[in-house]
Amino acid sequence: APAAKMAALSGGVAPWCRGWLPGLQFVRRGSKAVTRHWKAMHFQRQKLMAVTEYVAPRPAIPPRCLAPRKEKQEEDNGYARLLRQQVEEVFRDNRMIAVCQFNSMPGEDVVLMRHYLRKHNIEVKFVLNEIIRPVLSQSKYKNLLPLFVARNILLVSRETKVKEMLRVLKGVPQINLLGACIDDTILSRQGVENFAKLPSLEATQGQTVGALALLPSQTSSLLQRGSAHLTALLDQHISRLQAGETGSAAEPAPAQSS
Amino acid sequence: VVLRPVKSIVVRFCPFESNVESTRKFLGCINHKKIQATNRNCEVTADVRHDGSEPLVDVMFADGERLIMKGANLTTIEMLTALGSRCNAKELKEEQKSKKKSP
Repeated sequence: APAAKMAALSGGVAPWCRGWLPGLQFVRRGSKAVTRHWKAMHFQRQKLMAVTEYVAPRPAIPPRCLAPRKEKQEEDNGYARLLRQQVEEVFRDNRMIAVCQFNSMPGEDVVLMRHYLRKHNIEVKFVLNEIIRPVLSQSKYKNLLPLFVARNILLVSRETKVKEMLRVLKGVPQINLLGACIDDTILSRQGVENFAKLPSLEATQGQTVGALALLPSQTSSLLQRGSAHLTALLDQHISRLQAGETGSAAEPAPAQSS
Repeated sequence: VVLRPVKSIVVRFCPFESNVESTRKFLGCINHKKIQATNRNCEVTADVRHDGSEPLVDVMFADGERLIMKGANLTTIEMLTALGSRCNAKELKEEQKSKKKSP
């Protein structure tokens, strides 16, 4: 048992010992103080620990009964706003926007790809989905929303050089083209490939002009067919008469000469 | 995930559908440097279509086995663990075979 020297005892010691002794002193009994096993606490210590256990403070009214507090999420940090403005600018300025899935690529490949695309005036932009989604949902590009899941990049440009872009992307296996928005028309990957196979604008214009001009030319030829036929027949007749005249003039002439 | 027993992986999805998130993340994870480094011969192809079909992952193993995972209702982690467990099983088999052959 701990030999507990009462404080009174220590106080009652001779007045020339001005120091103080600890109220409780423990005596080694059985095992040492620091053991390798869990040592059972002394009963008094057990009681002390039980009494001084931590009791968590509980609110008087449980929070379920109170009206729910609507936490306003005003996360308009300037950085997010700036990024959103940039995205809006991108969508306004560029004619061709292609969305690709970006799987991790070594850094040099990224730089090389950027270099090749910048030669054709195509910029590569890394975007965050959380910023793009609210921008798109408010603009008219609602159908591009489901595209923006997992890591994406945007390839934006003012000219529509789809063939070169497809060639560069073929050389890079880790980027997959998901879709594109060219001149405010949303195209899937198949659509983009078809768009690349289209001939240039002037050639298509020439083709349409030719197709449109075909019908009136046909009608005009039909209308003129009757009169053209008549003139052809008359020409033939004249040539035959002339041939007959010359023949008849040639016959009496040799007849006369002979 | 060790990709040594895998010959090729084809991931097919349609980005305009709404149930493709896990498949796309799976594709992104597979293309990580460490996983690609375990097997340089494994070809990972992504097939992007627009015909409303389901997201599909087609794995061809070196011993001719084929694993098809329809990712419409699967999470990324489930797909990765399934693939990883099968790869580990095959690795163990190959190690046992090589041990039997060597002595």
